[in-house]
Amino acid sequence: MMNKQFEKAAKFIEKNCTADDFSLYLYKSDETATRYAQNMITQNMTGVKYGVRLNVAYGAKTGTSRINSLDETELKRMIETAQNIAKLNKPDPEFVPSSSKAKIPKTENMSENTVRFSMDGMVDIIKKTVDNAEKKKAFVSGIVTKTVSETYLKTKKGFEGSDSSTSFENSMTMADNKTREAKVERSVKDVKDYSIKKELDQLNSRFDALTEPKKIEAGQYNVILRPQAVINFFSFLLYFMDRKNADYGVTAFHDSIGKNMFGKNFSLISNLDEKDLTAASFSGDGIAARNVDWIKNGVVKDLFTSRSYAAKIKAQPNFIPNVIIRGGNATEQEMMKKVKNGLIINNFWYIRTVSMRKNEVTGLTRDGIYYFENGKIKHSVNNLRFNEVLHNAAKNILLLGKEDNIAAGTKVPTMLIKDFTFADTTSF
Amino acid sequence: MDHLSTALNHAQSLGAEYADIRIQKTTRETIFLMDLSLKNTSMNIEHGYGIRVMKNGAWGFAHSNVFAADEVKKTVEKAVKVAELSARIKKGKGLVLAHERGYIDSYSTKIQIDPFKVPLSEKVDLMLEVNKTLLNYAKIKRAFFMLDIYNDDKYFASTLGSVIHSNTYYINPMITATAVNDKDSQSRSFDEGGYGAGWEHVLKMNLVQKAVQIAEEAIMKLEADEPGEIRRRDLILDPNHLGLTMHESVGHPTELDRVLKWEADYAGVSFATPEKLKKYRYGSEIVNFVGDNTLSFGLATAGYDDDGVPGQKWYIIKDGILNEYGTTRDTAPFIGENMSRGCSRATYYYDFPINRIPNLYLEPGKKPLSPQELIADTEDGIYIEGRGSFSIDQHRVNFQFGGDMFWEIKNGKKVRPLKDVLYKSSNPEFWNSCDAICDDRYWKDFGVTNCGKGQPPQTARMTHGAATARFKKIRVGGSK
Repeated sequence: MMNKQFEKAAKFIEKNCTADDFSLYLYKSDETATRYAQNMITQNMTGVKYGVRLNVAYGAKTGTSRINSLDETELKRMIETAQNIAKLNKPDPEFVPSSSKAKIPKTENMSENTVRFSMDGMVDIIKKTVDNAEKKKAFVSGIVTKTVSETYLKTKKGFEGSDSSTSFENSMTMADNKTREAKVERSVKDVKDYSIKKELDQLNSRFDALTEPKKIEAGQYNVILRPQAVINFFSFLLYFMDRKNADYGVTAFHDSIGKNMFGKNFSLISNLDEKDLTAASFSGDGIAARNVDWIKNGVVKDLFTSRSYAAKIKAQPNFIPNVIIRGGNATEQEMMKKVKNGLIINNFWYIRTVSMRKNEVTGLTRDGIYYFENGKIKHSVNNLRFNEVLHNAAKNILLLGKEDNIAAGTKVPTMLIKDFTFADTTSF
Repeated sequence: MDHLSTALNHAQSLGAEYADIRIQKTTRETIFLMDLSLKNTSMNIEHGYGIRVMKNGAWGFAHSNVFAADEVKKTVEKAVKVAELSARIKKGKGLVLAHERGYIDSYSTKIQIDPFKVPLSEKVDLMLEVNKTLLNYAKIKRAFFMLDIYNDDKYFASTLGSVIHSNTYYINPMITATAVNDKDSQSRSFDEGGYGAGWEHVLKMNLVQKAVQIAEEAIMKLEADEPGEIRRRDLILDPNHLGLTMHESVGHPTELDRVLKWEADYAGVSFATPEKLKKYRYGSEIVNFVGDNTLSFGLATAGYDDDGVPGQKWYIIKDGILNEYGTTRDTAPFIGENMSRGCSRATYYYDFPINRIPNLYLEPGKKPLSPQELIADTEDGIYIEGRGSFSIDQHRVNFQFGGDMFWEIKNGKKVRPLKDVLYKSSNPEFWNSCDAICDDRYWKDFGVTNCGKGQPPQTARMTHGAATARFKKIRVGGSK
């Protein structure tokens, strides 16, 4: 059911906006976030945020205004501001009218359990986390966040959609005063699907497996990337796979559609039918969500296409409602046995583009890195820097684990990848 | 003003040991021109207030955008409840705030031409001329121009008696040209990172001329060679590039909250731990870093920070030795300091203030030296201009940085352009390898407006400055 405040604001804007075209986006986010560090709470905050964005057009001349209030005096000022900008602006040669009426898929992104979950409950979770760390003579830092969001989009051409979502997230890093540092993080739609015991067990397991790191040099290694490392690494595809940049030769995706660029073990899709995953039902500019195979068994099937560029090349526009990298059934044990030796990577950090045209990124390992040999973890090693080409890494996937819902709209597996390129060692 | 006293009185009546309220209106005009298409011409406002209370040695924070006495009181009550809950998990008596007194004062960025009042057509015409200039080159396939104009109008009041009004501005035109051929794509940007000034700053820039330069250099990069295998060479870094290098390898490691491991779960910690203060050789003797939140036109210059602490100037690195940190009222007592250096800043009204990098700059060299003389004195090196790919570990030790334009130096001369150059170094190797810094004639400041940190994430702004400097025998080459 649509938020009554949104309904009232939308009616007011429809009545008062005189532009040829408009697109109205409203959101409300009720967020509580409690930060903890070194076994104490350091910050704790709560409040409701509102956002109102109005895009208007006179012919091909556009203007946008955004405020954070639903007060009618402010809304009136916002309408005038957007309209004045558009009237004074130059025409946009790539202008497309606002979205027309569309069939918006139903998505289940809301949990009443999460809505009802109290701040006391969040502090209880932190208490368990801190007690666990103290038992291990360690220190824990992190954040517990609960968010309840509502969005609404309406255009003059007839698009209308609303969505509500909840998320509960706990991210925790446990470290000692020496070199051990391990992290787990998970976000869920429904707080009842979050088990602090399970998460602490995983944190403890990662922490306990850490030893004084042995020195390791740069080079190519077999790696087992755990899910957080997988998403942080391959999420750069979401930035590189823009269709216009591909067509203009800016990225490695130039002339890539239909070609096997990633190897048979790599599939990246968006799927609204995955019941355990949330999905945006429409984009902020009025594209209804749909299932898309971006990369299927290594073959590039589709690229992210904006509404204006889709109009130019007569293609269907799209966006990324959720992210799934397809997995398999291999266990970490089987992965360790598949190759003679290698490294288990919990996470990557500070990933940046090296070359868009080469599809190459750089970054460092973080939150625990282990050396394994003959099917067993032997010891920790120092962190390493990688410089790696995304599609080369995908081509080198040897085994895939089960998909893990690491975030409410993201599901990725653990991967065994051969010959992953580490270009530098680090001092810790 | 009534809301300020309503909030503080109510917080004290509920037992707060300390409270402050920050009423903040952030106005941002953004014009985004991609090629010749105006993708976004917008005026954005965030207006509301955040109330922070300390009770039982713990923080509570709540925010609202409803300006009514009842709502202000409710927001205070939420903040107090949050503080009481936070106090369930604390160490000893909990957080202690460094000493401070109250101030009644105001501060405003000195602007000559209010950028929000400049007609839209003047801004858009300039942007279109720049992008047309870029796209006139056949090999330039994408032209990007983002104009960012920003104003923070803020009232801060605290139970120490402070009532402070600050009104700060910055302006930042960012232009990128991307050249493409059948084998490669290369970009070159003009981006000085933002400046605490008005439209007069843009008028001084001659952006059309800059467009010609970046278009030609993007095309030059397209045809340039890669640097080959990583090997040790001398690096000469321009002030814009050094801005990012010092931000990552000096600014963040000397934020006290990282040192205290408060950011361990996301942004990371610091190798520059308290026992190293006044002893650790961070850089060579000519390396002096100053934290300066009084810097004219600085992006972190606002008169006072969000703890109500006045802007200050101090040495963070003195004669190469780690001297002091950037601190806040809640972090300083952990290292025995009884005053804060005034580095507490929040992005929007709904953000909790956190420990931030101040305006931070490298002092110029004391002996007369120009970049040309520095190049003439270098046998085997690479000269890097502007900012590119950058990545550093979560302890702020090991890093790999790229750049925006690269020149090979042989026997004292810039002999050819290069592309895709990266250098790898670490603390303390890097700043200890600094053997020459040009003099103050060549010192220039550059801004950062997108410094990401915190959970939930916030972006802060600050200014960095340097004169061109040389670093001996750094590992530099291609990506492998």
